[in-house]
Amino acid sequence: MMFWVVFLQVSSSGVMLPLLLRPPFSPPLTGCVRALHCSSQWIMRSRAEHLLRRQLTSRLPMRRHSRKSRSQEEEWRTRNKTVLTYIAAAGVGMIGLSYAAVPLYRLYCQATGLGGTAVAGHDTDQVETMKPVKERVIKVTFNADTHASIQWNFRPQQTEIYVVPGETALAFYRAKNPTDKPIIGISTYNVVPFDAGQYFNKIQCFCFEEQRLNPHEEVDMPVFFYIDPEFDDDPRMARVDTITLSYTFFEAKEGQQLPLPGYSYN
Amino acid sequence: MNFGSKSFKPRPPDKGSFPLDHFGECKTFKETFMRCLRENSFDNSKCRLQSKDYLECRMDHQLMAREPLQKLGFKDLMDPPPSQEESTP
Repeated sequence: MMFWVVFLQVSSSGVMLPLLLRPPFSPPLTGCVRALHCSSQWIMRSRAEHLLRRQLTSRLPMRRHSRKSRSQEEEWRTRNKTVLTYIAAAGVGMIGLSYAAVPLYRLYCQATGLGGTAVAGHDTDQVETMKPVKERVIKVTFNADTHASIQWNFRPQQTEIYVVPGETALAFYRAKNPTDKPIIGISTYNVVPFDAGQYFNKIQCFCFEEQRLNPHEEVDMPVFFYIDPEFDDDPRMARVDTITLSYTFFEAKEGQQLPLPGYSYN
Repeated sequence: MNFGSKSFKPRPPDKGSFPLDHFGECKTFKETFMRCLRENSFDNSKCRLQSKDYLECRMDHQLMAREPLQKLGFKDLMDPPPSQEESTP
């Protein structure tokens, strides 16, 4: 393979345009080579024209137009400076706005309750004063999962339970440790449909804290929950009749710190 | 996973976690509750008395923080105080 290096010189300027041209053995390269050749010729021609024009203008008398062109140049310069300042200010403003958008959006979501975030104002005193909505019966189904590495037998003790919003309900899961060593588990939960999850309030359960099971021990794990009475008022929940509560157990390693949910929403 | 679609955000329970009932102290109450559920085709409204009994058992055996039952939503199951003439339904 031979590489041809062609140096094209424009004599008056001394500009050298090195170009690398390969012998056109492969068909897809022929087009590229031709384009390169044409573009090099065009560049050469335009450079020559530019240089000729400069030489011509340098020979003309400049004194008559010097003052006017200088003031014009100054005007252009100040105009450019103001334009650049505006553009720089707009850029800095955009960056600042993107930083400010995070807390602003969070405030907006809390105020309007969009995006499924927990609406501020969910308090525990509501349990005392809420009235059950007896007409709206909701079926809550239970699901139990374990991570592959944990050897517990974990299952719900009832497949479903019928509740009404505003009424507290109790449900049980059972976990058994069939091995000969104590195992510590930690669980998280999930509620489907997602939008109904914001109305699903747990008063007390067994999630997010380490639970230790001794060898061959079996325990009952209760979940005490209620569905917010505002569930009935929400038009998006009008067709929701079934809510599925799903718990998953993972094995907790000694000294492991798990991030608890809710740290960024308060 | 779709970016932009809502995902579920788990929330911690209001009163924390139940300690485990390692010794099965409240197992009988739980069995009563489960039997009631099975007999009433899993209708929670009919078994609220049994769930109240279970939670009271837990509180008696230090397996749950003691709280007045109104705070747990059992106001309607409480006996009305003797000063009141009419009882709440």
